[in-house]
Amino acid sequence: MTEATYTGALDLAAGAFLLTAVLIVWRRELSAIVRLLAWQGAALAVLPIIEGIYQREPAPIVVGVVVLLLRAVVLPILLARAVGTEDQERRESTPLVNTTASLLITAGLTVLAYAVTQPIIALDRSPTTRALPAVFAVILIAVFVMVSRRRALSQAVGFLMLDNSITATAFLITAGVPLIVELGASLDVLFAVFVLGLLTSHMRVAFGGTDLDQLRELRD
Amino acid sequence: MTTALHNSPTVPALGEGARAAPPAGALAWLSGGLTAALGAVGVALGLSVIFGEPRQLRIGWLLPLVGVRLDLDPLGGLFLVATGAVSIAVGIYAVGYAQRERWARFPLAILPLFVAGMLLVPAAGSITTFLVSWELMAAVSLFLVLSEHRREAVRSAGVFYAIMTQLGFASILLALVVLSAAAGGDAFSTISAHVHDLSSGTKTTVFLLTLMGFGSKAGLLPLHAWLPRAHTEAPSPVSALMSAAMVNMGIYGIIRIDLQLLGPGPNWWGLTLMIIGALSAVFGVLQASVATDLKRLLAYSTTENMGLITLSLGAAILLRSSGAPTVAAIALTAALLHLLSHAAFKTLAFLAAGSVLAATGLRDLDKLGGLARRMPVTTVMFGIAALGASGLPLGAGFVSEWLMLQSLIHSPADGNTTLALAMPLSVGAVALTTGLGIAAMVKAFGVGFLARPRSAAAEAAQEAPASMLTGMTLAAAACAVFAVAPALLGPTLRQVLAVLPTVGGHAAGPQLGTFLRLPGVGGSLSPGLLAAALIIAVLLTLGLSRWGARHRPAAAMAPLWASGADTLSSRMQYTATSFAEPLQRVFDNVLRPDIDVEVTHFAESQYLVEKVTFRSRLADPVEQRLYTPVIRAVNAVAEWVRGAHTGSVHLYLAYGATGLLIVLLVTR
Repeated sequence: MTEATYTGALDLAAGAFLLTAVLIVWRRELSAIVRLLAWQGAALAVLPIIEGIYQREPAPIVVGVVVLLLRAVVLPILLARAVGTEDQERRESTPLVNTTASLLITAGLTVLAYAVTQPIIALDRSPTTRALPAVFAVILIAVFVMVSRRRALSQAVGFLMLDNSITATAFLITAGVPLIVELGASLDVLFAVFVLGLLTSHMRVAFGGTDLDQLRELRD
Repeated sequence: MTTALHNSPTVPALGEGARAAPPAGALAWLSGGLTAALGAVGVALGLSVIFGEPRQLRIGWLLPLVGVRLDLDPLGGLFLVATGAVSIAVGIYAVGYAQRERWARFPLAILPLFVAGMLLVPAAGSITTFLVSWELMAAVSLFLVLSEHRREAVRSAGVFYAIMTQLGFASILLALVVLSAAAGGDAFSTISAHVHDLSSGTKTTVFLLTLMGFGSKAGLLPLHAWLPRAHTEAPSPVSALMSAAMVNMGIYGIIRIDLQLLGPGPNWWGLTLMIIGALSAVFGVLQASVATDLKRLLAYSTTENMGLITLSLGAAILLRSSGAPTVAAIALTAALLHLLSHAAFKTLAFLAAGSVLAATGLRDLDKLGGLARRMPVTTVMFGIAALGASGLPLGAGFVSEWLMLQSLIHSPADGNTTLALAMPLSVGAVALTTGLGIAAMVKAFGVGFLARPRSAAAEAAQEAPASMLTGMTLAAAACAVFAVAPALLGPTLRQVLAVLPTVGGHAAGPQLGTFLRLPGVGGSLSPGLLAAALIIAVLLTLGLSRWGARHRPAAAMAPLWASGADTLSSRMQYTATSFAEPLQRVFDNVLRPDIDVEVTHFAESQYLVEKVTFRSRLADPVEQRLYTPVIRAVNAVAEWVRGAHTGSVHLYLAYGATGLLIVLLVTR
């Protein structure tokens, strides 16, 4: 793999990563959001695989395959199953911020990400760090998704996006995440999804829906 | 042996309790033994450092970035010995106490950890190690205070203690971070090498912050409020450890950081210490003399004694900078000696109080009494402790208080106005403290242990088991050493003084031989000969009266005169409240008691009284004046902040996101 192909592939993967995030903000259908999340997981998994192929090292490739299995297959299947059990709530019907405003805010956050990551890029101008702003923007977008969505499942998606983007940032900033660390983080995320699933079903039992605003009733 | 005593009739529900916690006996032996063993290690290490080379230990991997750094010098060694000695007595005592009181497993298990934390503090050689061990000590002691968390009073004491100890920690943390940043190092040795580069503003900041943090640990005014609560509600062995060993760490901090590392400080540091010390001493002893709760009385007495020590330390600074290093050395010796003797007699006092509490379930002096017949050994032990606390000759506290007064009286009289004003006033404060201290201790001993029992529980009291008595005997032996043979401590204190040059340590200190001699000052005393003379006098009097009795006619037996009543009843005796009433009247303005007298007359005639109800409530006036407004303000702010907590998850997430964005924008 030449340097130009490497840089191009890296930028493409980072761009796809950002694009899926923007699409998640755009779509309202829960099943579509989960599909997009699977694609985002795939884009994330490509990052270490490209790195591994370029450096001719097997370890990043193994990490990439593990990430691919977990984030593009296992977690989306779990989430899709959770969406399947929903009867009426397959749509994020009334988000707190409407779609147009959401997309504008997303654009703003992306610009902001480019601005705040300049000092980090200035430290080391390699192809990997140059792709950093795109991934960093996803962190901000994920937080925004968590702030603006009502349904518990959308919250879970936002959380997974946040985790995806943090993992991607780690891939790009550090020379490569050790396998053991990545395995630990992945296990963490898996457990978090289980817990979120459990909480969602509890919420449905307690409140008859998964609208987070109903949690207000719990305030002393 | 213990199992036999274990089945004493005062604990009828033992079978049930034993089933609930089967390994209590084994765990008590393990925990008490481990505590005592740690204490013994502390004593041995401390002594080896005092009389040998300083020891160092580096464990690089244990703490991130800086590692653990232990540096032991004679000053740390002295505190190691004090803490270790207290732990030995308390560890042995705790074996019996834990079984008799059926102590829960968790506090038993962490008791040795508390001792370990306290032993690490004086051994710490760097700021990080110091802070970690300080926090270990504070956190474990909090759990120990909360041992009986099912009682509301214990929880409230726990909250008070937690807040004050953590605030104190925060203040120390801030001070030491400032110090470390300014001196450019983490190790105490590095700091002391660069201390000359520090600006006086930095030094003052560090001094004030550490004084606040260490002062709150030592129970000095106005940060003493946790002490009467925590010491009262904690299990007695823990009270003993806290009051006799943990509060010392506050003094250690002041000596190590403010006197040794930052010293020699300006005059006003000494004055500040003296004022705080004098106020704490007088206030503490006043509260002790009107307290009716035995452990509360002892807790306030701790504030008093820590006040005296602080006063002495302040005097040492002031005397040193006024060009009287010999007198300063006397003051410093007095402070260190008083610290040690306080550790001895306060351990004994709290252990004896715990023995009373375990036997009767009572702390209220107004309900105790008559224990001298029922618990003779405990009574003698408390008597020894009370004698020590009252600062009378042949008591453990006498020699140090005598030295303290000598150093205050013999300050140079060469026209230094500060000194000329401060010293006589301090003499007054110490004298008042000692006088009131005697009243408080006479009350505690006389009302609590002598005369007739005032309640059924006191009447049914039984002597403590052997291990508790052994623990107390050890502490009593230490008291006897301080009272009669302080000469044994002479070499130790000389070594410690040598590492404190900034407060007059290099000058020839007082010689604690058979005769206490004060160089440069015309004063000497021999506590040992005093004791011998007293014993001879007592024996002589006894012999003479025996001899004289042979010539007297036989005694006639007659019923005791009971002031016209049928028989003597316990209601005719002084109670703790009535004993302290004159004092309460004299210090009415300071104590501000809340007294309620209600007289009910018979319906037939207003000249005949049916009953009189007397209610007296003594709240801590400093606490009411100073703490209540602060607590109210904190509550108001909390109420205001609660407005931002709407319960909406989205809003909370938005707070987080906004915070993240602000941080990102500010730091770029």
